[in-house]
Amino acid sequence: MIKVEHLSKKFGDLVVLRDITIEIRKGEVISIIGPSGTGKSTFLRCLNLLDRPSSGSIYIDGIDILDQKTDVPKVRQKMNMVFQSFNLFSHLTSLENLTIGQTKLLRMSKKDAKDKSMELLKLVGLAEKADSFPDELSGGQKQRVAIARCLAMDPEIILFDEPTSALDPTMVSEVLSVIRRLAKDGMTMAIVTHEMDFARDVSNRVLYMDEGLIYEEGTPQQIFENPQKERTIAFINRIRSLNYHISSPDYDLYALNAEIEIFCEKQILPRKTRHNVLLLVEEMLQIYNPFLHSTILDMKLAYSEKKESLELVFENTGEAINPLDKKRLPDELGLRIINNLAESIIYQREDNKNRLTLMMRL
Amino acid sequence: MKKSALLVFAGLMFVTVFTGCSKTENAITSFDDAQNAKIGVMTGSTGEAIAAAKFPNAQVKSFDDVMDSVAAMKSGQLDAVITAFPTAIQVSKLNPEFWYLPEPLQNEDTAIALKKGNDDLLATLNNIIDELKADGTLESMKNRWFKADLSPYKEMNITLPTEGKLLKIGVSATREPFSFVDKNGRVTGHDGELARIIGAKLQRPVEFSNMRFMALIPALQSGKVDMIVTGMTATDERRKSVDFTQPYFANAQVLFVKKASATSTMSLPFFKSIANSFHSNIIHEERYILILNGLKTTVLISVLATVFGTLLGALVCFMRMSKKTVLSLPAKIYISILRGTPVLVVLMLIFYVVFASINIDPVLVAIIAFGMNFAAYVAEIFRTGIEGVDKGQTEAGIAMGFSRVRTFFYIVLPQTVRRILPVYKGEFISLVKMTSIVGYIAVQDLTKASDIVRSRTFDAFFPLVMVAILYFLISWFLMQSLEYVERITDPKFKRRKVSNA
Repeated sequence: MIKVEHLSKKFGDLVVLRDITIEIRKGEVISIIGPSGTGKSTFLRCLNLLDRPSSGSIYIDGIDILDQKTDVPKVRQKMNMVFQSFNLFSHLTSLENLTIGQTKLLRMSKKDAKDKSMELLKLVGLAEKADSFPDELSGGQKQRVAIARCLAMDPEIILFDEPTSALDPTMVSEVLSVIRRLAKDGMTMAIVTHEMDFARDVSNRVLYMDEGLIYEEGTPQQIFENPQKERTIAFINRIRSLNYHISSPDYDLYALNAEIEIFCEKQILPRKTRHNVLLLVEEMLQIYNPFLHSTILDMKLAYSEKKESLELVFENTGEAINPLDKKRLPDELGLRIINNLAESIIYQREDNKNRLTLMMRL
Repeated sequence: MKKSALLVFAGLMFVTVFTGCSKTENAITSFDDAQNAKIGVMTGSTGEAIAAAKFPNAQVKSFDDVMDSVAAMKSGQLDAVITAFPTAIQVSKLNPEFWYLPEPLQNEDTAIALKKGNDDLLATLNNIIDELKADGTLESMKNRWFKADLSPYKEMNITLPTEGKLLKIGVSATREPFSFVDKNGRVTGHDGELARIIGAKLQRPVEFSNMRFMALIPALQSGKVDMIVTGMTATDERRKSVDFTQPYFANAQVLFVKKASATSTMSLPFFKSIANSFHSNIIHEERYILILNGLKTTVLISVLATVFGTLLGALVCFMRMSKKTVLSLPAKIYISILRGTPVLVVLMLIFYVVFASINIDPVLVAIIAFGMNFAAYVAEIFRTGIEGVDKGQTEAGIAMGFSRVRTFFYIVLPQTVRRILPVYKGEFISLVKMTSIVGYIAVQDLTKASDIVRSRTFDAFFPLVMVAILYFLISWFLMQSLEYVERITDPKFKRRKVSNA
């Protein structure tokens, strides 16, 4: 139904979409997830040409919509859009928001348009708000009217651009349940969303977008339970990390500590955890100190929101030595503190690097 | 609304009464008495030079018209006015508390002004004046028009041709008895009659262009009029820019002062004096017709200038918002020039420069000038209104399948109209009031009509108060119609109407 080939989009020098090729079939519900600023919304807006692609081609039912001769407004009628900020026409009532397209674009009689619109408002549960103006509705109500407005045009596909991002949490579910219902009725939809649980159970296919690409795609099970690629894993597990690079024994410990503190604060980790992380890092660096003049040390602190765990990874080049080998250490005091703070410690030798992975309790 | 109208009226009356009750001070009986006085002169008249020469220590104030200076004298702001003796006689007829010092300040020749280089016409006119002198016509005219009592003027019957090349006469018809507007709205007086005699002798139909005195010479130079016949003195300075015929009247400038034992007309009981003013300013000679015609002209100019200005403003706004510099730059320049120039200057430029050689109805010029000015302002009002509509509204319309143009008309425009109406109304009202300057290009609007009445009655306050009230009523009425538009464009209005019914 929609076929996108090698789509790319630049805003000036900024490349937002690199090379997107995808097909959306009739009846599919596609969720598009990914970090902010990776072009998800732009991709959606390119589909109905609100943003004109820089290159590539888009076919809708076999019609090339980037062709100069194509009647784009006509195509858009079959492919309506729900916006993050609702964009209900503020000078019209809920009902008129639905009828305007029907009477002006589909040339339906006023009466037919009104009857059908009332049906649709009933469907989204807002028949009694037919005469209300947008500024008299709550966010969730506005978004439901906006969805009904799309349906009024009898679209073949609906594009949802973060439909719940501007809502406060209490109103998210009313909107999502309307979308769920449409999915059940077999409506073709493409949904950009940050609601992972919703994306998982409403869609047939999930696209993970990152760096202007469709980075990984698959069924909800594949993407949410068994993601293959690194960034997908990080995103699904909601992992955020801090990297630090130490190349000489004269590194700035205070700057490092400050960075760790800021990182912990951002992830809203408890004070005790923060203290423990600082202590653990300090003890570890104490142990690494004799190596620092000859090797390069990479430290990574990663927090997984989903698993609620902290992971501290040290990697150094040089000969295969486990720095925590008891025999090498002058005393066991440091090691004891480390063992106490870390839940597990794993030593690996990979790519000529020694890697120590420490898991921490929260 | 009624209450506030009453309040305004009461306020104006209050001012009238208080400024009217003037103080009688030491009267001027000789030129020496006037050395330190406050003296009024007419802008661009010979009085200015006389005042500078003869009363170097006096405070000299310039006025556009005699009636303004008389009004100032009545309210005690002036001690004396320098004016021609026929005017002085005329004013003292209506205001017995004034008179003039019999000794003339300066004798002057009154003559007809022509554009330079028009030697044939000059010679013809000189011949005509010779004939009129010889057959006693000028003498008879002098007796009929320059008389000391208030009996009606006897005007000669002159038959003018209706066919032929139009003879355009420049007059400033607030100079009774030289030239003034009679109850039928025609220009008459000594010079009105003279102009008609000339027309009859030349076998050409006559058309009068009634404008401010200081606008006469520019009008002559730009060809808007063929000659000026309005009691103009042939001074050396004026001779530099125009040619004069031989004099047809021996005039003199006199010092017009308050009588020593002046009893103010304002000493009449308040209501009696109001009734008198009402009669002389409105009923007498059916002057209300003049005022009504002026009112019509003001409304006509205001409404048409608004329509024209709104359409032009929409076009300028469209150009201004275009991404193409070819369109947006001219629009930007237009807006900054028109907003940075006084509308009076624009009005005069269009009349005297742009349409100098074309015989165009000054009302049309006024509509164009005010429309152009209005357009510059509303273009910016429209732009802020359109830009104020959330971009998401346009996007939603387009995503739904409307073309850009239809999105604008169905979605953006209705929201813009509501947004801009309050500012638009204000701009419109100030346009209505601004039209009061059209008298400069010989349009008889409401203000000009009141000037004409004042020039006959020399009563400043009543016509001014009346005109103020009329302007207020026009604005109020037009405002109501715009407010109606504002109401019906309020989306919630419909629903309220339904729920009320």
